[in-house]
Amino acid sequence: MYRHAGERTLLLEYGQMDLDLTLNFFVLAVDGALAAGDVKGVVEVAPGFRSILIRYDPAQISARDLLTELRTVHEELPPQEDIEIPSRRISLPVALDDTTSRRAVKRYIDGIRDDAPNCEGGNNLDYMVRYNGLADRDDLLASVIGTEQWNGFMGFFPGLPFMFPMDPRYVVSVPKYNPTRTWTAEGALGLGGPCFAIYPVESPGGYQLLGRTLRIFDLERRNEGFGDSPFLLRPGDRISFYPVEEAELEANWERIEAGEYAYEIEDSPFDVGAYLEWLPKVADEAAERRRRAEAAWAATPVP
Amino acid sequence: MAAAATTRIEVLEGGIETTVQDYPGRTGMLRQGLFPAGPMDHFAFRAANLLVGNPLGTAALESTLGGLGLRFAGAAVIAVCGAEAETTLDGEPVPLWESRAVKAGSEFRIGISAGPGFRQYVAVSGGIDVPPFFGSRSTYTMGGLGGLDGRSLQPGDSLPLGSEGDGGAAGRRLVQEARPAYAREWQIETVRGPQASPDYLTEADMKTFFSRSWSVDKNSNRTGIRLEPHKFEWARKGGGISGGHPSNILDNSYPVGAININGDLPVILGPDGPTAGGFVVAGTIAHVGFWKLGQLRPVGDTIRFRELNVEEAVQQDREMDERLTAASLEDA
Repeated sequence: MYRHAGERTLLLEYGQMDLDLTLNFFVLAVDGALAAGDVKGVVEVAPGFRSILIRYDPAQISARDLLTELRTVHEELPPQEDIEIPSRRISLPVALDDTTSRRAVKRYIDGIRDDAPNCEGGNNLDYMVRYNGLADRDDLLASVIGTEQWNGFMGFFPGLPFMFPMDPRYVVSVPKYNPTRTWTAEGALGLGGPCFAIYPVESPGGYQLLGRTLRIFDLERRNEGFGDSPFLLRPGDRISFYPVEEAELEANWERIEAGEYAYEIEDSPFDVGAYLEWLPKVADEAAERRRRAEAAWAATPVP
Repeated sequence: MAAAATTRIEVLEGGIETTVQDYPGRTGMLRQGLFPAGPMDHFAFRAANLLVGNPLGTAALESTLGGLGLRFAGAAVIAVCGAEAETTLDGEPVPLWESRAVKAGSEFRIGISAGPGFRQYVAVSGGIDVPPFFGSRSTYTMGGLGGLDGRSLQPGDSLPLGSEGDGGAAGRRLVQEARPAYAREWQIETVRGPQASPDYLTEADMKTFFSRSWSVDKNSNRTGIRLEPHKFEWARKGGGISGGHPSNILDNSYPVGAININGDLPVILGPDGPTAGGFVVAGTIAHVGFWKLGQLRPVGDTIRFRELNVEEAVQQDREMDERLTAASLEDA
């Protein structure tokens, strides 16, 4: 379906609002087709998890004519199981509940809202544990590191990845801040809904803070891994996190500042067909976990 | 008049926040998380360029509140458009919305604006010739890119001038009928959606949304205009997997000018704002009304959203473009 977003932008949405990665594979295919073809009047295109935002020039094409053109683009896409998406596997360290995350929560409590349930205890982790009915922080950590995260699209501030768990048995979800923070540290790892994000610059933010990982946006491209782009990550990348102590993370940041850090990145094209074949094998377990999570969601206050 | 010779401007005072911007800003980077940047008030910006004989999108200066001081190394033509403030050239008052000749060594200053309005635009014949970054000269301070070293201007900075346009003519002004009205209570043209009634908000609440007045919060800047909390009436119970609050959705890209509902707080996304996220967008500021965001004064100003449909928004935008032509200029 489509929605108007002002007189110069359309938002196309696919499927239902659920964590169904096949919707995102479809979005990336449409995005690729739009980038390759030249639909008249299209100024630029930006994907979402299950949607595409299309900026157009109303002096060149009306919304109605644009929708007709888009229908043709959709009809010409190949079947999903035949798609191979360019992808890389990337490993990043994460220090849970680090100093910068606690500082961001403290600033929020002091300056914006002091009674938010997600900030009880001066951190967001305990709330994430509770909201998902998990046993403890280790249980939460296991969910973060137990699956690769699919970078579905980029946006927010320069180079931020919107990452979704590829193994549905490890899904965690949490409401976003209400209202949002005005400060977040560079490199913070957050969770909003079922989506993980790494903050690329100091910025406002709405995701619950898990901890901190590394730099992912660098105009000077000082470290191996950036290549010729200031953005470390790309849509279609698969990211996995491994836990480190804060001291080790800080040592990594020092190497990054010195231009001596080598990011762990490996080219590995993603076979959509093979993934779709594997998915049903874990469906029962995933559904059971989802039932337990939904019971916990219903029993936990929302900010 | 011949094209302006290559020359420079020296910054004496940077003011509260002065940046180099061009229009329509940076295109094609939305998918990496960069909004276009560019002038927050595109009307005053384009008018200033029109007055000095530049193409309307040529890089110029955006001054927030004022406090700016410049010295010109060579002759040029300048124009200032935007919020009223004491504006002088070598100590003599300079009216806004009017072009003036500048001599080598001339000093130009803008005092602090008492309003209404919040920003001024200073266009110089030939344009500000900083290097383009990702296709635009617009400053984006949060990303530290574009403009002059990705930051706002400081005393001692030196800005090169380009050779855009025809060199300009002094003593021209924008006719009164073409000038916008500034206020403390604003009406801003807005298109409903993409996430409004009936799927996300109730129709009754959308009526309230378009009829009530909203005050502008102190935490407002080029990334966003924060308004005041509102008890939204949601058409759905929660956000499900996308987060328990009904304002939460699975993340998508946002249009510039999105009225983003952060839980209970609406924030209008500005030209340096977040390009994507997981909150409902109840309305989108139409381009014809977007310029007003640049003139809102945090604390004190209020706004109402005036609903337009898509066709009306396109039509009114075209009419605004027609005001920005040589036909709107007269001798001062």
